[in-house]
Amino acid sequence: MKFLFLLFGTLFGFLLSRAGATTFDFHAQLFQFGDLRLLWVIASAVAIGVAGIFTMKLWRARSWLGGEPLQFDGKPMRRRLVPGALMLGIGWGLTGSCPGTAPVMLGEGKFAALFTVLGIVLGTYVYGALTGKQKRTACAPLARPANAER
Amino acid sequence: MSDAILWPSWLGGLSIGLFAMVQYWITNRQLGCSLGYGHVCGLVSRAEAFHRGELAPADNWRLWFLLGLPLGGLVAVLTSPTTHFSVNLSMGQMYDQVMPSALWAKVLLLTAGGALMGAGARMAGGCTSGHVIAGCALLNPPSLLAGALFFSGGLVTVQILFRLFS
Repeated sequence: MKFLFLLFGTLFGFLLSRAGATTFDFHAQLFQFGDLRLLWVIASAVAIGVAGIFTMKLWRARSWLGGEPLQFDGKPMRRRLVPGALMLGIGWGLTGSCPGTAPVMLGEGKFAALFTVLGIVLGTYVYGALTGKQKRTACAPLARPANAER
Repeated sequence: MSDAILWPSWLGGLSIGLFAMVQYWITNRQLGCSLGYGHVCGLVSRAEAFHRGELAPADNWRLWFLLGLPLGGLVAVLTSPTTHFSVNLSMGQMYDQVMPSALWAKVLLLTAGGALMGAGARMAGGCTSGHVIAGCALLNPPSLLAGALFFSGGLVTVQILFRLFS
């Protein structure tokens, strides 16, 4: 399982690079409505995803590895999604990368992404440390319970 | 810059979308990057927040996925006939123009941007991978909202950044 996901991560990183998502300036171009390459990348990825989910639902697909039926459950709504998503957007614009593309850039030799990656770890740590101290269930924890995902 | 070769955008998007579907079909685990950073925190912290629920150490696939990402970037450069691997601090023509030239200021800005993304992703419950590529494929309303807000935040930031400093 570990090596399968290491392989999956490698493949995803490779594809992000070929798609242009690891070029800082394409993110700036996207938000200046210049070169819209990344918009088409996202749009075609989502389009094939909608078709794929539809097909798998129709077939009542089961997971290859575990044999259990796929759940198709989405992430839950919660109030802090709104400020959180805006914060992520601000970081996206500032760094020209996102939590998935920054490590790929690092692998490509784009050293600036190292500080972004360290920042993401720091932000995750601070949020986890702050919410971990509050009484449980009082607010959204860092991670959902494992069984909520499947 | 060591930019690797590019595929046409539709082909890049198609293969990313297809990859996300195949991973989901094989493993029943939806694409996502940002929660893997919680495992990274778990490597240096014993705090319960980084070891429970989806971050339970028994199933730390997200950490391995995250470790694969830089390998993928390296492979992408090494398999590019037109580029040689080189390490440099440049962020490309546009960002280099608006980023502070002093190294400490650049480091500070990038770290702050990263920290906003790290905390923001945990508050939102996912990042561009989990909410946009995987979540929008499910047509899940919270993910569609998150995607719109990611985009709004990026839009306002880039517009301000490039108007003020270029």
